[in-house]
Amino acid sequence: MNVFMDKLALLWPEVAMMLGAVACLLAGLSSRQSLRKATPAVAMLALVVAAVLVRLVPNAQGAYDPGVDPSHFLGLGGMVPFVKMSVLALGLILVMVASGTPEALRQVIAAEAKEGKAFEPGDCFRGEFYAFMLFSLTGVMLCAGASDLVWLFLALELTSLPTYVMAATSRDKPAAQESAVKYFFLGAMSAAVFLYGFALIYTATGLTEFGPIVAYVEQNGVSPMMLTGVVLAVVGICFKIAAVPMHFYTADVYEGAATPVTAFLAFVPKTAGFVSLIGILGLVGWGESHGGTASELPEPLVYLLALIAVLTMTVGNVLGLMQQRIKRVLAYSSIAHSGYMLVGLLVGPEAVHAATGSNTLLSNGLAAVLFYLVAYGLSTVSSFAVVACMSRADGSEVETYDDLAGMRQRHPFLSGVLLVSVISLVGLPPLVGFLGKLYLIGSAYAAASAGSATAWVYPAVVVAMVLNSAISAGYYLRIAAVAFFGTDSGQTVELDLPTRRWGAAIAAGAALLLGGLPGNLLVESSRKAAEPPLPNAVPGATLDRQNADDTPPRETAEAGPASAPH
Amino acid sequence: MVNVMMKGVIMTLAESGSSFNHYAALGVLLLMAVGFGVANVTLTTFLGPSRKGEVKGTVYESGMNPIGSARRRFNVRFFILAMTFLLFDVEIVFLYPWAVTFPSLGGEAVDGGLDLLFLGRMLFFVLTTIVAFVYAWRKGVFRYD
Repeated sequence: MNVFMDKLALLWPEVAMMLGAVACLLAGLSSRQSLRKATPAVAMLALVVAAVLVRLVPNAQGAYDPGVDPSHFLGLGGMVPFVKMSVLALGLILVMVASGTPEALRQVIAAEAKEGKAFEPGDCFRGEFYAFMLFSLTGVMLCAGASDLVWLFLALELTSLPTYVMAATSRDKPAAQESAVKYFFLGAMSAAVFLYGFALIYTATGLTEFGPIVAYVEQNGVSPMMLTGVVLAVVGICFKIAAVPMHFYTADVYEGAATPVTAFLAFVPKTAGFVSLIGILGLVGWGESHGGTASELPEPLVYLLALIAVLTMTVGNVLGLMQQRIKRVLAYSSIAHSGYMLVGLLVGPEAVHAATGSNTLLSNGLAAVLFYLVAYGLSTVSSFAVVACMSRADGSEVETYDDLAGMRQRHPFLSGVLLVSVISLVGLPPLVGFLGKLYLIGSAYAAASAGSATAWVYPAVVVAMVLNSAISAGYYLRIAAVAFFGTDSGQTVELDLPTRRWGAAIAAGAALLLGGLPGNLLVESSRKAAEPPLPNAVPGATLDRQNADDTPPRETAEAGPASAPH
Repeated sequence: MVNVMMKGVIMTLAESGSSFNHYAALGVLLLMAVGFGVANVTLTTFLGPSRKGEVKGTVYESGMNPIGSARRRFNVRFFILAMTFLLFDVEIVFLYPWAVTFPSLGGEAVDGGLDLLFLGRMLFFVLTTIVAFVYAWRKGVFRYD
């Protein structure tokens, strides 16, 4: 009861998101058409309110509230507010990009009131679409705050389940349903895999809370069963980030769903996956960040992650080169970017390598991952959004390189946005993608000089990453070249969706701006990631504290303003 | 008689030393359980009288005559209705323990009006259910035409 209330007191942003989702559901069924049309605005409002609450509500770090035990939030520690804020910011852009998607469906159009026919609420699922977006974003935020295996599993599922429905209902075509079914069944299978991993972690330790598990591992070492559990969890979560053993669904699913939903799929489940991986890997390694002694990940995990990273980036880029359809190209590009980000996970937080003296901004792997997530999110969302802004003359989606040919003459604004996002995805200097890669490679370089037994892995991974960036330039620059130098196909028209257009522009503008003035965002992300999230995670201390807190429930209820009556 | 014998075997196995024997006892129990079931079926097949007939072979030996096939389509609305039922069912599951504990929350024994706080929480919970109800209503779940 006590612990539960303390946890709830930290979850006001998520509560606001849930209320916003309910408001979206109801607004989408309103009898007034103006209110129905305002559903995306309701969703955006919910996101803004949640962002304000993230700032206002005390977070896991430090002593905010005497009643709130910081050890309840072990997983990401100080990274939680950063993750929540970036998810909300990207979520705002994603809602802007997605607005207009359900409205374009035949069923929804038919449900609208026309002359002599009343509004048919049973056939209109506009509210559900935006509500599912909010639910999924809430799932990512909960993943970030997870401090318990059960919680983490539920949060991951909350992230994924709405995306299956969004993929199925976003388009009138059977391809959308096919993609959703593939996504759902493979997603269920991956959930089974990582749930089995969680079960083995529980079997090995008898615990589900992160704090006690870390304390247990520090005392007893990593048993084979624990390691098996972590490996299964990592492989299962690889589905969410579309990394190699579990990447097969990506191209088909991304192609089948409506493009704004694809943009959502490319960022949101991936963020949830990486955030969860940080939490899971933190159970067995990176000791310093959990208040213990400095340690790398266990050796088998280092090799496993390095292998997954190299395979993922290579498979993604090589297959991306061979594609003819834009959405498949971008799908494989998102696989490749997962490979890059896994390098940061491999390196871990700064503290591990602090002993070498290379304690610079360039040496923190987790900070690099968090920064790269934002960088990748901005660039990939804006590139998908540009594709979503256009359609062929017959109303079907833009699909091939030929459709993009000569975009510059017909859609100068959109082609500029596309150029910025594509160049950011390649990782060329003035843009945010360059900084993301710089920090990832820098962190791997710092780890290589740490002189541990597995140090040889890092240069190998860096070489693979640099080679892969070169390969990726092949298809990214092809997109830009076709758009700018191709002969106009004359087929495409721009959709009349100013919000989507501005969503693309804002994402690309942020990619441009953060590349120039990265200061604030980057410093914040790296600092938060580097800080030991839990200064007092001494084994036993957590348990004592919980026992000491075993006071009558009345005091919990009055613990802080956050737990006031609803 | 047989029970006593079984118990004797199990107890002997369980008490005879190494920890593995606990599992041996479990194994014996499992064997006995399976054996009991198989033996009964086999014995009745051989020992019991066997009378076969058309009526004996029907789905329900006694009761109504089955009409038609069970493999036919039925209205999907029942599925939605079942989901709606679950919604209110879960609400009841939460309301019961709350209602049972509620009287002990208020009064002079506990100062500070904890009862009001918990009343507010439960009202919030009921409100969420009402929202779901309104949503289902608006979606036409309760429309039978």
